[in-house]
Amino acid sequence: MTVDAPAVLVQDLLFDERVRLEDIIDRDGLGELCKSFVTLFGIPVRIYSSAGSLLADAPVEGELCAYVNTTAAGRQACAATVGGAKSRDPGESGDVVHPCFTGATYRVLALDYDGRRVGRLIVGPFVPANVQDVPASLFAVEPALDKGRARELLAKMPRAKPQTVMRMAAHLKSALDLLLFSGHRAFVTSQMHLASVRESYRELEEKNGRLQEAFDRLKELDRLKSSFLATVSHELRTPLTSIIGYSEMLSEGLAGELNPEQREFVKTIHEKGGQLLSLIMGLLDLGKLESGTMRLSTRIMGLEPVLREVISTLTPVALKKGVRLTLDVAAPISDLRGDPERLRQVFLNLVENALKFTPSGGEVTLRARMAEADSAEAGGDEGLTLLAPTHARVEVRVIDTGIGIPPRERLRVFDAFYQIDSSSTREFGGTGLGLSIVKRLVEGHRGAIRIEDNDPRGTVFVITLPQPEPTMAEASRVA
Amino acid sequence: MQINFGGREIALKLVYYGPALSGKTTNLRSLHQLTSDRSRGRLMTLETKDDRTLFFDMLPLTLRAEGERQASGMTLRIKIFTVPGQVLHSSTRRLVLQGADAVAFIADSQTSETEHNAASFLDLRENLKDLGVSIKGLPLVIQFNKRDLERVRSDEEISALARRGKEPVFKASAVAGDGVLETFFGLLHVAWTKLDAEHQLAKMLGIESGALLPMAARQLGLTKDVATLLSSCVGGRLDQQAQAPP
Repeated sequence: MTVDAPAVLVQDLLFDERVRLEDIIDRDGLGELCKSFVTLFGIPVRIYSSAGSLLADAPVEGELCAYVNTTAAGRQACAATVGGAKSRDPGESGDVVHPCFTGATYRVLALDYDGRRVGRLIVGPFVPANVQDVPASLFAVEPALDKGRARELLAKMPRAKPQTVMRMAAHLKSALDLLLFSGHRAFVTSQMHLASVRESYRELEEKNGRLQEAFDRLKELDRLKSSFLATVSHELRTPLTSIIGYSEMLSEGLAGELNPEQREFVKTIHEKGGQLLSLIMGLLDLGKLESGTMRLSTRIMGLEPVLREVISTLTPVALKKGVRLTLDVAAPISDLRGDPERLRQVFLNLVENALKFTPSGGEVTLRARMAEADSAEAGGDEGLTLLAPTHARVEVRVIDTGIGIPPRERLRVFDAFYQIDSSSTREFGGTGLGLSIVKRLVEGHRGAIRIEDNDPRGTVFVITLPQPEPTMAEASRVA
Repeated sequence: MQINFGGREIALKLVYYGPALSGKTTNLRSLHQLTSDRSRGRLMTLETKDDRTLFFDMLPLTLRAEGERQASGMTLRIKIFTVPGQVLHSSTRRLVLQGADAVAFIADSQTSETEHNAASFLDLRENLKDLGVSIKGLPLVIQFNKRDLERVRSDEEISALARRGKEPVFKASAVAGDGVLETFFGLLHVAWTKLDAEHQLAKMLGIESGALLPMAARQLGLTKDVATLLSSCVGGRLDQQAQAPP
């Protein structure tokens, strides 16, 4: 089997992906981190991605800056300084000082992650601790500014030693690094998760495809088997009819008187021919049922006469075997829509089976009752109030005190040709076709069949058949 | 392997494979502890609450070329991954394995785990096949981990097996850090030898072929020298695998 390489290529993602600040950092959260930095140290910070976009800032306009910005030349110079700081590359060392004409200064620091530059951190403006007085550069920009006022405002600017600023920045950077790592990990995890799901899905799809193919092939084989069975059975029946017919004529002496031994032999031929015919008829039925070509001639019918007929047919068999056979119909059971001939076949088969497997002195009962939908069958008690009235059914039980059917075999006995114990075929006879035909016929009546225990000994076949849904005509008749 | 000339980077992917609970993540944790943070990044682990690897673990190492032409400024980035060992994470294993330059197979030394080791190795072979890679051409080292436990396969047995096998074998107790660096350097050795022969990586980095491992040991802050580390290899054909073609 060859499988294509995984459709999802996450190699880049897992291997050596480039982390972008924009992808993994929450901007609002980053903004809050910057604000808390300003609250703590009084020095403004800004964070840029390596692509140059501003991700977060916490601007605090110093009073000196505000004063400078009152003049046109000041505003222009201020904008140039701030613009310069923004675009300043921190270089190999990852740390550069960007001075302002006011005597304050900016620090531009590299943000690295996993050995690569991902952005820049700009700290400032702040006044280095060693700057005592307003520099001449301020008045070079705007001579009109008042020196005393400027000096007073400069003193109000945040003031820090460069080493202190570095320590603060290092702290912020390590916090950021942790955020990046966590964000990156979550990002990679989710990508990986998606890829894994896709990969598993791809695998399942492939397997499903193969299973579907196998299933289709089996279905086709099954259909071929059924059609073969039907054809062969049909062809077998034709010569068999002659065998049965002629052996019957022989045994009746139509071709001359037979001696007792000859009559015995011919009778055996006739009997076995009959058995073979019923087997072939069974195969034909099964074939028709499986291919869906059997048509039930259904009509509204009473079930009780059918059951009585079954009992009277089989009473001689029961008597011969010493098994008590009883019919138990307590209350009137409602009519149902069915094919009386096929239903007779169903119950005849089941009762015959029950007799076969019940030893002498045992008991076989055919019991019919009206029953409400079995809650287990209807899928639990949910909505029973609504569902029960529409689910009234006729329930027929074929109860024996025979050898019983182990629970694990209860589904398989309905498979065609299945025998629980192949040695029992010798003891009890049978082709293994009966129950599979019974099940299909019951299902053809929209009914169900299941097997229960008959405590302490024996088996109960439970057949439920639905009441006919009232047609418009019947409904109006009731009204 | 990826070569990024613009970024002046070469990236290698090394994968630690093996059965569940054989100590792949422990190897990475120990490697993380035993190396200096100058050249290695954070260990990224994705584990469930019972310490089972969910997707993978990853430890990045960054080595900077230092040689006559160090001005070239090339960087060798090594990413070490572990796969999730549990059988059900098969698709994740395949995804992590994708593009691997070399594999360290972490086997569990306990006698009871012998079958799991074999099953995991077959799983590795199958996954490589699915990815269109033949295991024959993939640099591979084997580590027998958990040497500190009782009821493990004996040294003699492992040595005897290793002599017959092709892959270099290292013995380790990853939880104590023993054999971890040895395995990693064995893995780096076989990976580097093959890739350098195929792509002339040393030339790109501006170093001698034989200079990479000592350089890595130096930058990772190791006290042991490379020869000592590699000498702990038992059996297999480390040198033959490592031999650069003429």
